Amino acid sequence: MAITLTHYLALAGALFLTGMLGFIIRRNALIMLMSVELMLSATNVVFAAFSRHWGNGAGHVFVLMNFAVAAAEAAIGLAILVEIYRRRRSVNVDELKVLME
Amino acid sequence: MWESIIFWVCGGLMLLSGIMMVLSRNAVVAACWLIFCFLNAAGIFAILSAPFLAVLQVLVYAGAIMVLFLFVIMMLQAPVLEAEQRRRSLWLGPAMLLPVLATLVVLIGWLRGPLNLLPAQPLPDDFGTAQAVASLLLNEYLLAFELISIVLLVAIIGAIALGKVERKLPWR
Amino acid sequence: METQVSESLLRWIVLLPLVGATINGLLNQRLPRQLAGLLACATVGVSFALTVNVFLRLLGLPATERLLTDSLATWIGFGRLSVDIGFAMDPLAAVMTLVVTGVSFLIHIYSLGYMGHDSGFQRFFAYLNLFVFFMLTLVLGENLLLLFVGWEGVGLCSYLLIGFWFGEEANAVAGKKAFIVNRVGDLGFLIGIVLLGVTLLPHLSAGEGLFSFRTLFAHRELLAPVATALGLLFFWGATGKSAQIPLYIWLPDAMAGPTPVSALIHAATMVTAGVYMVARLNFLYIMSPTAMLVVAIVGGATALLAATIALAQNDIKKVLAYSTVSQLGYMMLACGVGAFAAGIFHLMTHAFFKALLFLGSGSVIHAMSNEQDMRVMGGLARKLPVTFWTFLAGTLAIAGIFPLAGFFSKDEILWFAFSQGSSWLWVLGYLAAGLTAFYMMRLVVLTFHGTNRASEDVRKHIHESPVSMTLPLVVLAVLSIGGGWIGWPQFMGGSNHFEHWLEPVFHHEASGHAEVVTGAHGAAAHLATLPSNHATTGMTHSADVPAAAHHDVTVEWVLMFASLGIALLGLGLGYLVYARRSDLAEKWRNLAGGGIYRVLANKYYVDEAYEASFIKPGYALSKRVLWAWVDKGLIDGLLVNGSALVVAILGAFLRVFQNGLVRFYAYTFACGAAVFAIYLTLSR
Repeated sequence: MAITLTHYLALAGALFLTGMLGFIIRRNALIMLMSVELMLSATNVVFAAFSRHWGNGAGHVFVLMNFAVAAAEAAIGLAILVEIYRRRRSVNVDELKVLME
Repeated sequence: MWESIIFWVCGGLMLLSGIMMVLSRNAVVAACWLIFCFLNAAGIFAILSAPFLAVLQVLVYAGAIMVLFLFVIMMLQAPVLEAEQRRRSLWLGPAMLLPVLATLVVLIGWLRGPLNLLPAQPLPDDFGTAQAVASLLLNEYLLAFELISIVLLVAIIGAIALGKVERKLPWR
Repeated sequence: METQVSESLLRWIVLLPLVGATINGLLNQRLPRQLAGLLACATVGVSFALTVNVFLRLLGLPATERLLTDSLATWIGFGRLSVDIGFAMDPLAAVMTLVVTGVSFLIHIYSLGYMGHDSGFQRFFAYLNLFVFFMLTLVLGENLLLLFVGWEGVGLCSYLLIGFWFGEEANAVAGKKAFIVNRVGDLGFLIGIVLLGVTLLPHLSAGEGLFSFRTLFAHRELLAPVATALGLLFFWGATGKSAQIPLYIWLPDAMAGPTPVSALIHAATMVTAGVYMVARLNFLYIMSPTAMLVVAIVGGATALLAATIALAQNDIKKVLAYSTVSQLGYMMLACGVGAFAAGIFHLMTHAFFKALLFLGSGSVIHAMSNEQDMRVMGGLARKLPVTFWTFLAGTLAIAGIFPLAGFFSKDEILWFAFSQGSSWLWVLGYLAAGLTAFYMMRLVVLTFHGTNRASEDVRKHIHESPVSMTLPLVVLAVLSIGGGWIGWPQFMGGSNHFEHWLEPVFHHEASGHAEVVTGAHGAAAHLATLPSNHATTGMTHSADVPAAAHHDVTVEWVLMFASLGIALLGLGLGYLVYARRSDLAEKWRNLAGGGIYRVLANKYYVDEAYEASFIKPGYALSKRVLWAWVDKGLIDGLLVNGSALVVAILGAFLRVFQNGLVRFYAYTFACGAAVFAIYLTLSR
């Protein structure tokens, strides 16, 4: 059967949902960050799919931007995580609720 | 034909590894699953006539970002960083609402009729190649290019600043 | 439309006393007494001089164009609703202003002596000046709202001055009573103003001041359907301010204030505001015979009722207070039968002799070391000659003895009551006249005749008052004697300048004596003949006068002698009973087992009746319902605490969302995004 745009979108949607669920369900900060990366990947797929559909290269450019942002975000996120770990000896995000009302 | 096969294989594996990553107890294992996921993503990019992106996906994502993750995991000695202690995550139940909502969205969308998109256009010859992307990047999207480099610069500075070990300074 | 001639002095007539009040009020004790007194008297004196000046100017204008205006600013300018701050002097306002400034000036001078040793000297003059300012605003205001501002202002000053010696609780209570009773009346006034505004506003064109008297007069036909309601509502206000039944109760209590205050405010000026208001709105009242009938009946009844109470009072000022209520009743009676000019005439003469009587009593009180009970007075004629003779002049004036001022004004009222009202109204006034003469003579005899009944200490200090006090007495006595001559009626050979002067305002035919219209139809007949007057505002029908004048001159002469007769009878009886035959006085007091006298002395127990029927229930209502349920329950409980409770509950609810858990926040993001996505899909 021909692979239409819709297939790719469905795939991306499922990936995004998975990543989101992972972010919400898991308490381990590292896993949460990795889930974020998964969500970003999903959007990359969407952009690439549409890019091919309309023959517009701008989608690829955006994916490139996405890579860069993902990298930056991972770097900073991990740096923060390391700092937190140094102070609390744990990466359980549920313990980070000083801002609780 | 190839497209179909690779789509189903790579796509399916991608999804599967994503799910496994989310479910695994061990952080290192999760990282590995994610790497595998990205490799499959590269496959998807390939069949989407985006060879440049496919390669970059492997190089940057799988090669750099995930390595970084693994570095940190190892540094924190967190392979078995499982503060969960077998206790079910509080948000499992409510989180299940989300797939429901998502299905709802899809269903409604499907029922309302096909996407009213602009029709497919023919692809230019050099679509997806490094030259094509590069020329776009450096001509029309020059500003974005510059800005993204600043983002990376900021990220570097931030990471360094955050990662520094506190030194005893005379006036502290 | 009359031509409007501008006169910028008008604003100074009104504002000068305000300047005096401000300076005296702000500087108070820091201003030396002589200076404060001088300032206060000067401002009113200059005001009076300016009034005379403007009056002369007014005199020089032709009769149909006697209107001087001075517009200061726009007060309300809201679409078609436009009210200006401006003053206007027409013949009526001129009379009032002359009376107010003139008598005020005399009383200010008097107060220099009377209040000379008082610790609140500067404060007194500040209040007094403030009062003059408000009274002048009331009288010179070119629209009804300014009149009301003055109305309220004089009420305020009355409160301040009645309770001037507020150290004594009774004085403060009296001040409160005056203000609150006035307020009850003001409710009617306010409702009337609103009704007037609502009726008139849709029909106005741009630029016409809504409440301006010129506008009201021009559009009076539009007010015809609500004329009765308006007339009654405004009269309700007047019963409060001018102490008519049922709201007269504050005036006798107001005697708690210093005597100059009683003279100025509660005799000559403030209480006359109600009469002025009715006279000013005469075109409205004429359209409603019902309202006029009510005014006349209430006026007549008040006149008689108050006179009966005065018979049994022992405090010299209380007698004069009830006398004032009674005389105000006469003025209202006059207005009620359509004789507005006569009412204003009596207002003027009453100002003269009542102020004189009050100031004279002040002189007596001063001499008797602040004793006010007539039963311990007596024999003061020899020791206080100036006071005695001027007081006697005032008494003869109020009794209505020819040729003093009171004779002419009272006689005219009685004539009109008979001819344009009904015989019953005349009877009320006639009896009251007799009683007036009687109780005034009683007062004179008890105070000045015979031997002094006070203690040795008091007797030693009896002395005539200083010139600052006796001079105004003399001036007022002269006015009481000769002040009525400008109203010398035509049937006696005079030309009644006063009535002619006020014609343009009251739109009467040249001589009211020419008509014989009886009963309530009098007003209706007036209305029928009015349209022909419109073209020329006032002086008309001069051709009619000679022909009709011969008519009932006979009746006029008869009535005149009748009233003179009963006045003399009253005076004579008073002298007889109290000076010669004190056994008769004793018999009168013990009539019906002392019951009659007791009822009169207790003022028909009206205050007690009001206390039982209004005050106590009102208090109970306030305490048990309004405080307990509304204030504590509703406002404190439901609204204040309740809203706090709502906020607390809401906060408790919302607190759940602020748990600091990152994953929860992410979850809410996701849900929100999902909802948004659904919305997008649905709307596509």
